[in-house]
Amino acid sequence: MRPAFRNAYFNLSLSLNPNPTKLTLPPFSLHAFPTFSTSLQPTFRTFRLTTETFRPTRTCCSYSPMADGEAHAPPTSFPSLEKQFEVFRVQLEDSGSLRERIRAVVMEIESTTRLIHANLLLVHQSRPTPELLEKAKAQVGVLKELYNRLAVVLSECPGQYYRYHGDWRSETQTVVSLLAFMHWLETGTLLMHSEAEEMLGLNNSEFVLDIEDYLVGICFMSNELPRYVVNQVTAGDYDCPRKVLKFLTDLHAAFRMLNLRNDFLRKKFDGMKYDLRRVEEVYYDVKIRGLAVTGDAIGERGIEGQS
Amino acid sequence: MYYSYSAVIHRLRFMASKPHHLLPLPNSAATTVAAKRARTMATDSSSSSSSSSPIKDAFTKYTQYLNTLNEKRERVVKASRDITINSKKVIFQVHRISKHNREEVLEKAEKDLKAVTDQYISRLVKELHGTDFWKLRRAYSPGVQEYIEAATFCSFCKSGNLLTLDEINATLLSLSDPSLEPLQINVLDYLLGLADLTGELMRLAIGRISEGELEFAEKICRFVRDIYRELTLLVPHMDDSYDMKTKMDTMLQSVMKIENACFSVHVRGSEYIPLLGSSDPSSFLLGVPDIEL
Repeated sequence: MRPAFRNAYFNLSLSLNPNPTKLTLPPFSLHAFPTFSTSLQPTFRTFRLTTETFRPTRTCCSYSPMADGEAHAPPTSFPSLEKQFEVFRVQLEDSGSLRERIRAVVMEIESTTRLIHANLLLVHQSRPTPELLEKAKAQVGVLKELYNRLAVVLSECPGQYYRYHGDWRSETQTVVSLLAFMHWLETGTLLMHSEAEEMLGLNNSEFVLDIEDYLVGICFMSNELPRYVVNQVTAGDYDCPRKVLKFLTDLHAAFRMLNLRNDFLRKKFDGMKYDLRRVEEVYYDVKIRGLAVTGDAIGERGIEGQS
Repeated sequence: MYYSYSAVIHRLRFMASKPHHLLPLPNSAATTVAAKRARTMATDSSSSSSSSSPIKDAFTKYTQYLNTLNEKRERVVKASRDITINSKKVIFQVHRISKHNREEVLEKAEKDLKAVTDQYISRLVKELHGTDFWKLRRAYSPGVQEYIEAATFCSFCKSGNLLTLDEINATLLSLSDPSLEPLQINVLDYLLGLADLTGELMRLAIGRISEGELEFAEKICRFVRDIYRELTLLVPHMDDSYDMKTKMDTMLQSVMKIENACFSVHVRGSEYIPLLGSSDPSSFLLGVPDIEL
C-alpha cells in the first residue's frame, strides 16, 4: 500500500498546486455556488475534527493545537452500526460463556479418561485382564454421565454442535480409543461406532459421536497394540501375536476402504501400518523360534484371562 | 504404491455409484446393497479377510458417510471459490466510482452483486443444511467473507451506512426452500468480512482524495474508525480470534493510512486556500480535480 499512498500523495500535491489559469468550473458548481460563502468554514472544522479525535498522539496532533468543541460530538455517526455491534457483543458473550461451560465438562471427561487410561496401562504389567476391565468399566459410567451433561449444555444451541466441536474433539477421540481397547480386550472384536455411542449414552440424542472422531480413536487404539503384544509375549503368552495380527490386518484392510482426505485421520491411518509391521515382527520372532501355538483352537474366545 | 492403486480402485467404484445420503446412524436398505459391494471389493483388494465380517460392513457405512461428506465439502469449496471471484469483481466495479459516474457504477455493481447472490450464494444455500453450517464452515467461510465485503462495500457507497447482518440474511431467505432451515451467515464470518471491508474502504478513500472528494473521504475515515473501534470490543469474544487479531492489525494500518492522507490534504490544502479562495472560496474543495485536467 505504500506506493499507492505515495501516489495519492503525489496526486494531491500536484492537484493542489495552484494554477488558477487552468481552473475550470466543475460541472456541478452551479449547485455549489449559492452555498460557497458559508460552506468553507464548517467543512474545514469537521475535517479537522475527524483527523484528531482518535489517537491524537500518533498522527495528527502536531498541526492542530486548537481542538474545538466539536470534538465531543457523539461517538458514532452511524447508528445502525453501533446498535448492531452491541447485539453482536451480547451474542458473542453468550456463546463465550456456553463455551466455558462446555470446557468445564470436557475437563472432567479428560480427568476421567486419564483414570481409565492409567488403569488400562496395567495390562502391560500382566495384571489379570478381567480385574482391570472391571475397574475401568466403573469409570465408563462416569463418562456416560459426563457426556450426558455435555449433551444437555449443547441442547441450548441446536444445530451448533460443530461450532464447539473442537472443544471436545481430541478428548472424545481418546475416549473412543480407550473404549475400543477395553472392548477388544474383552471380546477380541472391534468396537463399532454404534456400540461406542451406546456406551456413552449418545445413541438417541442430537449430540452424536462424530464418525471421524470415532475412526481417529480407533487408530489411537491400534497404536496401543504393538506394546501390548510385546509385553504379552514377554509374559509367556505366545499366541497373542497371532490374534493381534489377525485383528490388526482386518482393521487395516477395513480402513483401506475409506477414501480419506489429507487430514488428521489420514495421517493417523498412515501410522497404523507401522503398528501392523511391528506386530508382524513380533509374530515372526515367536513363530521362527517355534514358540507359537499351532492351530486355531485357543484363539477363538478372544484373549481374556491371560497372565 | 499398492495402497494408492487400491485407493484409486475404490474411488472409481464409489464414484460410479451415486452417493446415498447417509446419516451417522442409518439402517437403511442402502446399507445392505453397499455391503454386497464391499464384499466383492474385499476379495479383489485385500488378501486376508473374512469377507462377511462385521468390520467390513460397518466400514462400508463409514465409507459412504465420508464419501458423501467429502463430496459435499468439495462442492461447497467450489461454490465458495466462485463466490470469492465474483465478489471481487463487484468490489472492483465499485472502485471505478468517480463523482461523475457514481450512479451508473453503483447500479452495475448492485446488479453484479445480485447475480452473485442468485447464482453462487444460492448454490451454497442448496448444499448446506442443519449441522453443515458449522461443520463445513471452514469450506465456505472465505467466500462468504468476500461476499460480505462486497455487499457492505456496495451498500456503503450507495447509502453511506453499514449494511447489517440481518439485512444480508434477509436477502438470503428468498433463496432457500421455506420448508428447510435457511442458510444464515453467522456473526463470525460477517465480522471477518467487515474487517476486510476496511482495506477496500482505504483504497477508496485514497482514490477519492486524489480526485478531490474530500467530504466523502472524511466520511469513509469516520466510518472505518467506528468499525475499528467497535471491533476492538468484539475481538476477544470471537470463537477463533487468531484470524481476527491479524486482521485488526491490518485494519489499524488502513485507518492510519486514511488519516494520514486526510492530514496531508488538510495541511497542504490550508496553504493554498488564499490563492484559490480569493475569488471562489469553495473551489478548493470542488475544483481540485479540474486543476489536473
